Amino acid sequence: MSPAGLDEALVAAAQAGSTDAFSRLVERHQQAVRAFLRRACGDWAQADDLAQETFLAAWSRIGRLKAGASVRAWLCGIGYNKHLTARRSGVRDRIRDESYEADRETACGPHAADKMALEAAMGELPEEQRACVALCLAADFSHSEAADALGLPLGTVKSHVTRGRARLLQALGGPDGR
Amino acid sequence: MVDDDRLKALFAYDEPPPRDPAFSSAVMAEVMRRRFMVDVALLSGVSALGGTALWALWPSLQPALVTISQGLAPAIVAGALAMGAVALLGGRQASALLGLES
Repeated sequence: MSPAGLDEALVAAAQAGSTDAFSRLVERHQQAVRAFLRRACGDWAQADDLAQETFLAAWSRIGRLKAGASVRAWLCGIGYNKHLTARRSGVRDRIRDESYEADRETACGPHAADKMALEAAMGELPEEQRACVALCLAADFSHSEAADALGLPLGTVKSHVTRGRARLLQALGGPDGR
Repeated sequence: MVDDDRLKALFAYDEPPPRDPAFSSAVMAEVMRRRFMVDVALLSGVSALGGTALWALWPSLQPALVTISQGLAPAIVAGALAMGAVALLGGRQASALLGLES
């Protein structure tokens, strides 16, 4: 069975109330959702909290997921909304740089400087641009899949990705993506 | 495309493991907890509704129940005796099968 077919079968079973099926969905998509949220909010601990909330919200809304829809895009969309809500409410108001230092493993090896430059550049990107970059450049989402997930027009996503990529490459001291 | 590969390689530092049983377990434990709470709330609601309905209907139900119970009393007693006998005989058979009786 293809991954999409398996997702569809698991979603159908979860919609019928199967927690086992939902558990498999969590296993299959936790990496994508957590990675996206880590890149979107820059705080690993907060990202994991948000990912957990994302899956809990997904469980209560699984009945609304249409057949054939991309599960990973749907989950990332829920996660993105959770992230925006958390930022707006200020409940999880932590200083990004501080938590970067505290929570994550320190990048090491020959690319440590590049990694730090990338993190700093990501932190400076506007919210939507950062989310588009996190999905399309880091997680291989198609532009239309990212547009679905983030609720943005396709053209806006393309433009965010192009500009974000240029800014990241500039920060890394390479060509600006043109 | 070299630049994209470079970015992708750097982004890979943020990647969580493909399988994380601790994370999945935490999510599912919370899902089950919430499901349990919903079930408890639902059952409490149904019980409260049933209790209220019974309380409201009790004045009209009581005479009917008294009449019915008086009529059914012999049958209920006979049924209870029969069930007791079956339980006793079944219990002895079970004891014999288990070798507890000589």
